[in-house]
Order: sequence, then structure tokens, then C-alpha cells
Amino acid sequence: MAKAVKIKKKTEEGLHDFLKSLLDKEIIKGVFILKKMDKTGAVSYSLITDPEEFKKAVPLYPYMPVNAGKALANFTLLGKAEQPIAAILRPCEIRAFVELVKRTQGDFENFLIISLTCGGVLTLKTISEPDQDKLISQYWESVKKAEVFEHTREACQFCEHFLPLNADITVAAVGKKDLDEECLLFLNTPKGEKFAQEASGSSVSEEIETEKVQQLKKKREELKEKYVQQTETGETGMKSLVNVFAPCLGCHGCSHVCPICYCTLCEFDSKTLQYNADGLSSDLKRKGGLKVPSGNLLFHLGRMTHMAVSCISCGMCSDVCPVNIPVATVFSKAGKSLQKVFDYFPGKDAEEPVPGGTYKEEEFAEIGEQ
Amino acid sequence: MNSKYKPNIIAFLCNWCSYTGADLAGTARMKIPSSIKTIRVMCSGRIDALFVLKAFLKGADGVMMMGCHPGDCHYQKGNYNTRRRYVLLDNLFKTLGLEKKRIGLWWVSASEANRYAKVTNEYTEEIKKLGPNPTSEEIFL
Amino acid sequence: MSHQKKEETIIPEKGTVLSAEKGTKRVILDILKKALAENLFDAVLIPAQVPETEAYSWILLQDESLFEWADPLPPVMTVQGGRALSSFSKNGELEQNIAALLRPCEIRAAIELFKLKQVNLKNITLISLDCPGAMPLSNYMSDPQKTKKDFQHILEKWENSESLRPVCQVCQHFSFIDGTAADLHIGLLGDKNKNITLIPSSPKGKKLLDQLEFGTKDSVEKWKTEKQQLANEKIKRIDAFNREWKKKINQANGFFNEFNPCINCHNCMNVCPMCYCQQCYFDSQAINFKPEAYMQKAEQKGALRFPLNTMLFHIGRMSHMVLSCVSCGACEDACPVSIPVSQLFSMVSDQTQKEFKYTPGMNREDALPLQDFTEQEFCEVEVPDECHEKAPEEAK
Repeated sequence: MAKAVKIKKKTEEGLHDFLKSLLDKEIIKGVFILKKMDKTGAVSYSLITDPEEFKKAVPLYPYMPVNAGKALANFTLLGKAEQPIAAILRPCEIRAFVELVKRTQGDFENFLIISLTCGGVLTLKTISEPDQDKLISQYWESVKKAEVFEHTREACQFCEHFLPLNADITVAAVGKKDLDEECLLFLNTPKGEKFAQEASGSSVSEEIETEKVQQLKKKREELKEKYVQQTETGETGMKSLVNVFAPCLGCHGCSHVCPICYCTLCEFDSKTLQYNADGLSSDLKRKGGLKVPSGNLLFHLGRMTHMAVSCISCGMCSDVCPVNIPVATVFSKAGKSLQKVFDYFPGKDAEEPVPGGTYKEEEFAEIGEQ
Repeated sequence: MNSKYKPNIIAFLCNWCSYTGADLAGTARMKIPSSIKTIRVMCSGRIDALFVLKAFLKGADGVMMMGCHPGDCHYQKGNYNTRRRYVLLDNLFKTLGLEKKRIGLWWVSASEANRYAKVTNEYTEEIKKLGPNPTSEEIFL
Repeated sequence: MSHQKKEETIIPEKGTVLSAEKGTKRVILDILKKALAENLFDAVLIPAQVPETEAYSWILLQDESLFEWADPLPPVMTVQGGRALSSFSKNGELEQNIAALLRPCEIRAAIELFKLKQVNLKNITLISLDCPGAMPLSNYMSDPQKTKKDFQHILEKWENSESLRPVCQVCQHFSFIDGTAADLHIGLLGDKNKNITLIPSSPKGKKLLDQLEFGTKDSVEKWKTEKQQLANEKIKRIDAFNREWKKKINQANGFFNEFNPCINCHNCMNVCPMCYCQQCYFDSQAINFKPEAYMQKAEQKGALRFPLNTMLFHIGRMSHMVLSCVSCGACEDACPVSIPVSQLFSMVSDQTQKEFKYTPGMNREDALPLQDFTEQEFCEVEVPDECHEKAPEEAK
């Protein structure tokens, strides 16, 4: 059982009011939150400081226009936040932020992190669909029932880490039938408790990992198996990898939106891998034909060696791919396997070093001696 | 595969142990297969995962990473990083269904000329059994 | 290079008319095969379907057996051809003689990249062809079979279709490029599907036709007439297109609102043939600030959007490449949130290019507008009233 606050309001409204009161009383100076851009479905993350402007905030809107962990790192790259700021992040976005903080690309200080038990986000493509509102209400119905909603990202459909880590406050959403009647905020840290004193609700003690949550976890694990098998690369290896990535335009959008790919100049955008006349001649002579621009698989596999071990499976990469390559599924699969080998949970603990940057003398002792 | 098939193997050798070991093997007139093409790096820790991937995707039939035995690194700890990098590559190959045997890691010290000759010969035989790397003919990479 | 516009290249009267009974694509491929067999080229750059998949990509083809997968006119434009050409020819002169079969907008992009020293044309023969337009990439990816069928239909009729990409529907440079851009043009219009017309557009192209023993004896009149008809229709459409967009963006914040869904993935820039910089200014650290600075900005407006500088990126990119924009539509195809990027850029480039009397990619001699100036020009932006009275000598 965990400490919680129960507010007798619709969940999104309760959270909204709670944050607004923090802002009104200047307990926090700003809120990092999703905001509606206009009448269409477009949303973007915004740092809101004006309580009036805060009315446009939609804290639990089921879209991820950018991975907010990346946006927060953008904000704190050159220093920590000087004043307290509340940030509403999805569990994978917190994990992304932790991974970035680890790489000295951001700073955790002065953030009140609020998250939710996450039902996933809808794909970006659905933003321009005419019946988007209907889709969103269907989404919330499925969250209440702790179901997997078909229009959410593939990466969300098989995400088993939808209970947030490192959040000060967790909003109960998955499997909560009375989402429209009450707002339940779990207080995970003393910091969360302190801020929650401003919430006009009653203190209760509740279970965060309800039966429904466990059910969803199981469902998603099963789906994961299914999807991974669909993106089948086991039997035929190289050929099927070539085919999966065949439509790639080389736009590198996947790397651009990836929170872990933080490099300012990516190796694969640099000159090192470009053809010169000699290289072209020898490859052409040998093969009788070349795909150009070349280096398509080298980019994807190379990027994988760089970031897959820290892949937090947010699914941004698949969502921005203009040619529908299931990037997230392949990377998530590779990532899970690497994380097991190195006994690493990305985004769990900012103090834990990245596997590529550390070693133990006694590990893998049998390797290299054969 | 016919017996005349000569594989194309890229070997990355660290300057202080493996390269010296290979040198000793040469001086001692040990038989080293001509399929091995050596590239010297200062430390096996310099072997970027991309070097290996690039060699593999450009059609090398095998890629060998070689360095000092753990604890013997000239730079104290470079080879521990190499080992992790190899584990990473090995695991990626396994997960993606690529031919794992096309990459490998061996520790060869400066005095182990015998071992250098042994592992290069063994690996060449192994690759011969495996046949040419399909990436060498794949156009749509 | 001089700013004066070169004399209009006149479309040659003579070329070769070949029967296309075997199918247009077949005939084009046979010509290339022949050229390759006779060692007129060492390799051909051509779109191809990746075996076992529905995906298209560019291949540099040397081995004749690969023609099996080649498709001179695929339903979609995947990577912009100018970009594909640049990817292997930017680092110096090639050892091979290469023929590149590109759509007209891809040829024009290649020429712009040539001026920017990102393409080396020394051993490259550019071959353009009449282009019916391309289908939106997202449609193709979600239903390849249907899109292929629709495209085939368009290719047979050469009529406008709403299912083409919007910029293709209003494209003004879908055929022979009146300039020194390409070496040879393949006309598919004129006796549609029965004949194809080969029109040399440079001495190199003429020589190629002679070497292939096609010569230049046939009249190209039929092709020319049909091309003109199609061009006239397209001119009408582009006027309507520009009017409509202007009306839309003249509303308050109209232009900005179109970019509201932008998620800053920079896909549009990464696929743009003209955005060739290795490191884009908008990806650099030059626009990073400390958190306090961001807080201040947020407090000024009540809220600050993240990621930052989304509009700066689009307008900044526009200022960098709009004079060379060939309206190929690659940006729109790559946008994951369906922003009409290429329509907006195309509309703006149409106006700015007119201002500079510059049409990108038409010939190899015209200087890029921002690399060139005359002392007399644009005085109306400084002293509007005195502008036309002052002769250049008096101005001294």
C-alpha cells in the first residue's frame, strides 16, 4: 500500500487544478506540459509560466510529439533549472531523461516529476484524422478497462514498463474505472508529499499495482512476443534485415527523434562514411551494382551498437518513419537482449553507469581464451 | 564450397601484444594463412564496433579482434572495454539472426606466436566451412 | 559566370522516334542496355525495386542482370535523384562513365548541387524523361498494389489526377528542360504509349544518339505539341494553386499555423536535395541557452514551446535554400505529421525565384542568385522614388 491523495474530480481536471494552484501560489515557477496548439489535434510540449496560458494545457493528452525527456534535456543542457518546475512525463520519457542525465546532457535538480500509469500514446498519424476526438475517447475507455488499444504505438502495445520509476507523483490511470469521477495521485517521494499538500483532496492509502495493472502487464508481454516474431529476423538473418530496412530513405529521422541519440553531429551524417572515387570503383567492380546512397544497414546496425543498450522503447523512431519501417520493434528487441546480457535497466537509476562506459574485471572471463 | 575458396579475413591487432605476437610468428616462420589481413591498432580498445560492422557489411568473411590478455593491457584497462564491445556485437548478431561466427575475439600476448598461428589457422578453417559472407554480394545494403 | 540570362535554348527539331510496342519502360531499358553493352557507359544510375519487397531505391548498375529490377519510372520518388547522384560523386571525379536517368526535378536538383560543388558531372551523362508526377510516399507504403495500379493508369492517360502529389499536379518543369541541364531527353508524350521520342539537349547527347546509331533524323513535332498542351493545362493549375495558398496563409498566423504539428524531426531537411550541409545550423549548439534564459522567454509570453525554434528552423531553412528549391516534394513525403511543407516552400520559392529572375537547375552556367549581384539592381528596395531616374553612371 502506498500513500496517495484522492481528489473528487475528473482525473485530468484534478491534476490540472492541482498544478494550477501550485502555479498560482508560485510554489512552482513553471510547468512543463503538453499544450494544445490550435483547434486541430496538434499539441506540443510547453514550459508554461502564466496561469492564464495554463488553461490550454492538456496534461494527459495521449500523444507524444517529441520524447519529453529529450526536450527537458534540451532545457537543462547548459545548467540546472534555478527555480522549481513541475514536469508531466510518461514513464518512458522519465527513463529517457535519466539516460540523458547520465550522459551529462541534462539535470534533474528542481524538477517535480509527475507521471502516470501509462496506457500508451496514439500514433502521430492519427492527429490529422477527422474523427480524432472519438478515437481519444475510445482510448480512455480502453485505459479504464486496462486493455491494449489498437491505435496506440506498437512500442506502447508491448511496453511492460508502464509504471513510472523516479516519479515524485504518479497519477493512477490504467485499469481505473472511475477515472471520470476521481483523481488519484500516488505520492512516491517526500518531495511529492510536500507539493501534494496543495492538492485539495483527502489522504488515502492505496495499491498502485492493482490486479488490472498486472493483467495489462501480462497482456503486453504476450504481445511483445508476437510482434518480435513478426519482425522476423531469426531464420534468414541478413536477407530479412535487408528487406525490413529496404524502403529506408536515409532521412535519419529515427536518430533525430531518439532521446538516446544526443550527438550534435552523428557519425552517419559525417563525411567518414561517404564514397570517394576509389571506393566506389572497387565496390562496383566487385558487386556489379550498388544501392545509392549506400550505407543503409550500416547506419541502422551502427546506431544500434551506439544506443540499443539504452533503448527505453518509447517508439518515437517508428512513429516518425515516413516509410513505416518497424524501427522501434527491431531496436527494442535488440535492446532487451543487450540489457539482459549486461544486466542493465535503462532509465532506472541516474547513478548507474552505461554498460559501454564501464566494465568488471571478472566478467565474461571465458571470452577470448578459446 | 570448393577447397580452393580462400576467405577474406580482417584481423585487428593491438600494437603491444597481438601484433608483436603475430610478428614473432612471422619471424619464427610459422605458417599463417594468407586469408588474414591484419590492421594494427594501438590498443584493442581502439577497435570501434563500427570498424567491425563496416568490415562485415563490406563483405569480409570474418573479422578478428585481438588484444592483450585481461590484466595485461598496456593501457591498463583498454581490453576490458574491448571485451564488452565484443559481447555487444556478439549479442546483436545473435538477436538479429546474423552469422555470429563471422566475428570473434581472441587474446594473444606478445610471446604467444604459437597461439597466433593456431587461432588464425583454426578460424580460417572455420570460415571456410561457413563459406563466403552473403553481404559481399548483396547490392541493396 | 554572368548574371545575364543565357539565350533560351531552343528545343531541337530533330531527334529519334522509336516504337514503344514492347512497352515504354522496356524500350528505355533496352536503350540503356545497348549503351552499356557497347561500353558507352560503365554504369547506369536508375531506380530499382528491391527484390522480394515493394521498396524502391536507386542503384548504380553495371551488371546487366540487374536490369530485371530496374524501373525507369517508379510510382514514387524515394530518395531524390539529385541527392543519390551527389552521394557518390561529390568527392571528386569518377573513374566510370555513368548515365543517370532522372526525373526533370531530380536533374534540376543535380544541376543546383553541381553549382554548389556537391555533384561532379565530369563523367556523368544526365538523361531526363517526361514525368507524369509521383504518388505520395505514404499512400504507396500503406497500399503499394493500389498505388501502383493508380499510377499505371496515370501513366497511360497522361491526365491530371488528384491522387498525385500536390506539387506534381502543378509542376511546370515536367519535361524537356530548356537549358543546358540534361544531355538527352526521353519524351514519352506524343503518340502516347506507341512511340517514344529521344531528343538530344547537348552535343554529348547528340553524340550518344549517333553512337547508338539512332541518329537525329525524325521530327519531334508531335511530342512537342502534346508537351505544350500539357504545359498549358499545368500553368492554369499553378495559378489557382498559388491563389489558394496565398488566401490560406494571409489569415492571422496562417503560415505559422500550418507548421503547428511540427515535431522537429528535421526529416524535411534531411531528404531535401538542396540541404546538403553536413551539419545544419539548426542542429548545432549555436542556438542553445541556459535554463534561466528559457525561463525568461517563457515568462515574457506565458509559455515557451519545446522543442525550441521550430519556426526559426523552417523559415531559416527556407532562407537558405528557397532560391534553389526545385519543388520536388521530397520534404512533404518525409513529413511524419503531414505538414504540406513542399506546397508552402514551392509557393514561396515561386515568388522569390521570380524576384531574382532565376529558375533553379535550368542550365549549368547561371550563377546562384546569392553568389552574384549587379550594382544597379534592386535599388527600389533602398530609395523607391529615385530608383528609375538614376542611370548607373550618375550613381557614381
